[in-house]
Amino acid sequence: MTLRPYLTAFGLQWKIGLRYRIAVVAGLAAQMWFGAVTLMAYASVYHAAPDVQAPLSLRQAMTYTWIQQSLFTLLPLGCLPAIGDAAKTGAIVYDLLRPVDMWNWWLSASLARLLGNAIPRAVLLACVAGPLAMLVGLGAWSLAPPADLAAAGLSLISITLGALLSATIVMWWNILTARTLSPLGSYAVGTPLAVLLSGMLLPLPLYPDWIRPFLLAQPFAGITDIPIRIYLGTPIPGGVATGLGLQLFWLTALTLLGRLWMRQTVNRLEVQGA
Amino acid sequence: MQSSHPASDAITVNNLRKTYRIREGGSWRGKTREIVALDGISFSVPKGQIAGFIGPNGAGKSTAIKILSGILRPTSGEVQVNGLVPWTNRVAHVARIGVVFGQRTQLWWDLSVGEGLALLRDIYGVDPERFARNRARLADALDLGGIMDQSVRQLSLGQRMRAEIAASLIHDPEILILDEPTIGLDAPSKLAVRAFVHELSRDRGTTVLLTTHDMHDIEALAERVIVIGHGRILADSPFEDLRMTTLSERILELDFHGTPPELALPAGAVETSRAPHSLTITFDPRQIPAPALVAHVGHLPGLDDLRISRPSIEEIITRFYADHAA
Repeated sequence: MTLRPYLTAFGLQWKIGLRYRIAVVAGLAAQMWFGAVTLMAYASVYHAAPDVQAPLSLRQAMTYTWIQQSLFTLLPLGCLPAIGDAAKTGAIVYDLLRPVDMWNWWLSASLARLLGNAIPRAVLLACVAGPLAMLVGLGAWSLAPPADLAAAGLSLISITLGALLSATIVMWWNILTARTLSPLGSYAVGTPLAVLLSGMLLPLPLYPDWIRPFLLAQPFAGITDIPIRIYLGTPIPGGVATGLGLQLFWLTALTLLGRLWMRQTVNRLEVQGA
Repeated sequence: MQSSHPASDAITVNNLRKTYRIREGGSWRGKTREIVALDGISFSVPKGQIAGFIGPNGAGKSTAIKILSGILRPTSGEVQVNGLVPWTNRVAHVARIGVVFGQRTQLWWDLSVGEGLALLRDIYGVDPERFARNRARLADALDLGGIMDQSVRQLSLGQRMRAEIAASLIHDPEILILDEPTIGLDAPSKLAVRAFVHELSRDRGTTVLLTTHDMHDIEALAERVIVIGHGRILADSPFEDLRMTTLSERILELDFHGTPPELALPAGAVETSRAPHSLTITFDPRQIPAPALVAHVGHLPGLDDLRISRPSIEEIITRFYADHAA
């Protein structure tokens, strides 16, 4: 088996992701705005209740927020747009006509699209919210550097797993799209789930005690929450190994189950139109 | 492979059935109803043949095409394409066929034609030398030189269809499946597509399975017509045979410079319409040969001109469908 078709799918979606430079700038502005508003809200909450022992310090909550904002487009919000379009027009039949493993083919494309969208935004936002904010005297509101060297290295491994996990969840949205012949369902389900459960809306460590174990154990925590916790050096129940273990577990489980679902879907995929 | 499937057959289909389950009423508790799309069809296509596959809408053509392409599983029956069962060896099977669905695009809207072909090269693992050769040959035969660098989004329908056909052939498939390749095309584009398919079959021995609603495609290309209706094969023969058995009649038109006279016609010929200066006679050449009929009417007073024509292929097929209640 050759890797070339999958690298080709990756390259194509990577290019498409990078093509929308204006969207990157517009997205950056929106994310800076949301980030700033969230930070002010945290600041007032933390200052109003200085005695409460929060699981994250104010500075950590701010850093958490900046990283979440910068990785917004890494979240599995819905299916790969190209698959959504193909499902609507019926061109999805051509995907079945290619001599490739459908799972790897779509996964490469989905991963490339996530990375092509996320990496330029993340780098830009990190520069603005980090060094630039410190230079202009907003150090207290800025993105803090990683806790230590080990945290930096481990969080890099963890975010790589997070990207793979996100692409795997996108695969589930892709299959849903192929089954319903419409991308709408995947967005209706995917966006709220991803925003809520990834910690984008509220950092997962700030939820009430009783629900936190469940939030950590669900797959969406593995995309950005676990990497950020490792970056911040905040304790994860069971340690960093548990965090990485959860990511690997979900990556494996969602891949195996997803491949089964995909096979079943391909077997009975009936093609739209006459 | 097996003795019943001679190696010279590119496609063999044996008692192929496909039923769809359709849920009626509510999506939750509705009753399911079975629709029979293919009701046991059998045929084979020898290597290198161009076979036309026709039938009214809903007859089961598309279902059969999808099964042969490997994107739909039949309910039962046997199919071998290039010696492979399409739905069990999907990856190996699709690497050896080319498919064009006239109503859908396989090229990438955002890319140029050339970039799309290069992507397909990587997907099919075509080695660079063979790719360069095929690309040059297809660009020449399909007149793609001027549009290689244009994005697919900007192409006219005719240009796009030529690019689609090139895309389906970049990996030298042994079988080409064309599902309505001329739909929506203007006359010159249709002629270009037909000429190309004809050359492809003649020069490279590619087996072609063609579905179309344009009977001129069939007349120009197909050595053989398989007519399908209600999920069954209604006819499978060269087109001339279909003409003979369905609508062998001829039409004789006569123009007069005065009022046409009353005629006494021989058996097998009937007057079918009369106008102030013309007459139309329909006749069966098996009962009254054309020369005899012409001799019979040739001396009529006031006769200016006469023409003999055959029913068009559309009329023949329409009659055929009507005869079979398809």
